[in-house]
Amino acid sequence: MSAVKRPEGSKSAPAFYNNPNVRAVFYQLLLVATLGYLVFLIIANTLANMEARGIKTGFDFLTTTAGFDILMSLIPYDATDTYLRTFFVGLLNTILVSAVGIVLATMVGFIMGVAHFSKNWLVTRLAVAYVETFRNIPLLLQIFFWYFAVLAALPSARNSMSLGEAVFLNVRGLYLPAPVEEAGATVFYIAVAVAIAAIIWLHRYAKKRQDDEGVQLPVWRLSLGILIALPALASVIGGAPFSFEYPELRGFNFRGGITVIPELMALALALTVYTGAFIAEAVRAGIQAVPHGQTEAARSIGLKESKIMKLIIVPQAMRVIVPLLNSEYQSLVKNSTLATAIGYPDLFTVFVGTSLNQTGQAIEIVFMTLAVYFAVNMTISLCMNLFNRRVSLVERK
Amino acid sequence: MSSSSHHTTRVFEPKPSQPAPVTAAGPIAWLRNNLFAGPLNSITTLVIVAFFLWAIPPLLDWLLWSADFSGTTQQDCTSSGACWVFIQAWSQQLFYGSFPDTEIWRINLTLVLLALVLSSPYWLPHHLRNRLDLALLVIFPFVAIAILDGRILGLEYVSTDFWGGFSLNLLLASASIILGMPLGFLWALGRRSNMPMARSISVILIEFFRGVPVLALFFMGSVMLPLFFPEGTNVDKLLRVWIVLTLFMAGYMAEVYRGGFQAIPNGQYEASAALGLSYWQTTLLVILPQVIKVSMPNILATSIMLFKNTTFLLIIGIFEVLSTAQTALTNSNWLGGYATEAYLFVGVVYWICCFGMSRVAANIEKKLDTSHQS
Repeated sequence: MSAVKRPEGSKSAPAFYNNPNVRAVFYQLLLVATLGYLVFLIIANTLANMEARGIKTGFDFLTTTAGFDILMSLIPYDATDTYLRTFFVGLLNTILVSAVGIVLATMVGFIMGVAHFSKNWLVTRLAVAYVETFRNIPLLLQIFFWYFAVLAALPSARNSMSLGEAVFLNVRGLYLPAPVEEAGATVFYIAVAVAIAAIIWLHRYAKKRQDDEGVQLPVWRLSLGILIALPALASVIGGAPFSFEYPELRGFNFRGGITVIPELMALALALTVYTGAFIAEAVRAGIQAVPHGQTEAARSIGLKESKIMKLIIVPQAMRVIVPLLNSEYQSLVKNSTLATAIGYPDLFTVFVGTSLNQTGQAIEIVFMTLAVYFAVNMTISLCMNLFNRRVSLVERK
Repeated sequence: MSSSSHHTTRVFEPKPSQPAPVTAAGPIAWLRNNLFAGPLNSITTLVIVAFFLWAIPPLLDWLLWSADFSGTTQQDCTSSGACWVFIQAWSQQLFYGSFPDTEIWRINLTLVLLALVLSSPYWLPHHLRNRLDLALLVIFPFVAIAILDGRILGLEYVSTDFWGGFSLNLLLASASIILGMPLGFLWALGRRSNMPMARSISVILIEFFRGVPVLALFFMGSVMLPLFFPEGTNVDKLLRVWIVLTLFMAGYMAEVYRGGFQAIPNGQYEASAALGLSYWQTTLLVILPQVIKVSMPNILATSIMLFKNTTFLLIIGIFEVLSTAQTALTNSNWLGGYATEAYLFVGVVYWICCFGMSRVAANIEKKLDTSHQS
């Protein structure tokens, strides 16, 4: 720059206001000042409005009695409990439906995503039809469809559909037998823990054998054997670990056992089917991203077709799939707030819905709820990133 | 070969080629390869076909053969099949909400304008395209509001309480997408900026609007936003929803653009710097077109998501299409349980729009793919 000869009369350095650093500082000051003023205005207005409407502030309301019933609760709850307890009831219900949705959607998604590459033309078409149908219909509509059209058309309690007189399905929900711990339960739990430890050890051992000697052990069959044999042995020694409490028809409804309310069923079904379609698409994209040469090379060294998928294609596809799964899981958790449309008592329904209505403390309640959704999604993100590190490509150093 | 004088030239006449064996080409081969390759494959095919044979006839029967198509009231639905009379009777509500009958032309006009604006790149003369296109897009939402509201244009005033139905979903979604796209670009620029304040503010905005459930955003829009304004200001419910949807769209768009920015080679910035272009010239004339090109499929995917999410407005009491359907289902004149018909209808309408958009996205992707890689 200094080499350029300046025209006469402008020998000095460029004006200070043309200095990019000065400008950057100025723009940022302007930005911060504007935003600061806006935030100040909002806070001032909010405080004035809340005072005018007589809304209290602070978190004192959490310790007062809520006074309303909740349709479903995983922890003991009744109307005399506090708002803090409603928060946890809702939180657990949200976690329950999200976890069920994530597990089922992953299963459906992987099956449908892999089905896209089936040799059977009909299966391929069905997989495409599934993805294109359910991806393009709003989730809320699907929730309503399951809840108001499908589940509402189930038979009444007296005419329940039943499976072996143990599982009942009717318009009021799904009734499952509940396991009740018996004397042998402790031994049983220990056996399960030992079995899992043994399986982990077996996997490590098998990997070492394969790395050292090239011997392949039937790991999966052995694992399954251990998982069944040890707990079974424990039940023989320690006596039956569980007895089952079966649901029974008393009057107009079933008593006993585990009840899955239709709201939960509809929400879990809709989340599964909807998110499953997106996961199937992610899996398809991931598999397609693996070059075809990989399959051909695998065939040429004589791998079986089933092994090709498991050992060659899926591990490479996972690099593409896992980041996509991460965002699908997060959107599933966020979408679970739609529970409020059919009255499933998730965090949103219970806390932002009923509790907010009763206390009017919008700021505190919305803040707590958003913090929870952020935290849940951060946890998912963290887990998926850890998983991603395992599956991502290890480049040559 | 022979030196005989009776030598005659013999022309090599190839035998007509035989058709490929039926097991290698043609429909039978196709069936063998695609439906009956091996026992497991054949069983799968048979199971699926059996399922179709079991499920499709009763389905068709319910949908068409024994369905009721004509009539005006519930009493006209006498047969065992679907009651399409229900859809017919509510079709105006489902599409236009409770907009006054005589003013429905205004919604139609707005939708036609929307179609014209969206298709403007195809019919505008070349030299006008770049600038006018953008201007038309940005002006559209405000023109639409002016037409539908009516007060500014001296038409009969229609309060937003009467706006509704599928047209509201369409218009709200497009208005939010149109304003969310430039706003998101601004945020994405902020995120890439060298100024630490601008960067952190952009990151906070983007992560907030992406990380929060959209339902919570709507809720904040209806419960908390009124608290933010000075006492006495009454912000229209739809306007609040529009603001929320725009910010939501901007957050997601910013993330889409981020991917686009990453695909732009550094040489593009260096080349524009060498040409002496300013920051905004570089950004708007060199980078933006390429970013949009690279991220077009994702922009459309995000737009589809937003369009589907407009159904969530039901929860805060706005009469979009699904909410209208719910109202129709609980109407005392139609208490026959027509939920399946209603959801099927709304679902099909939505499906056509979203699937069409995803096809357009796929086509654009193909058309814009100038990489000559394959």
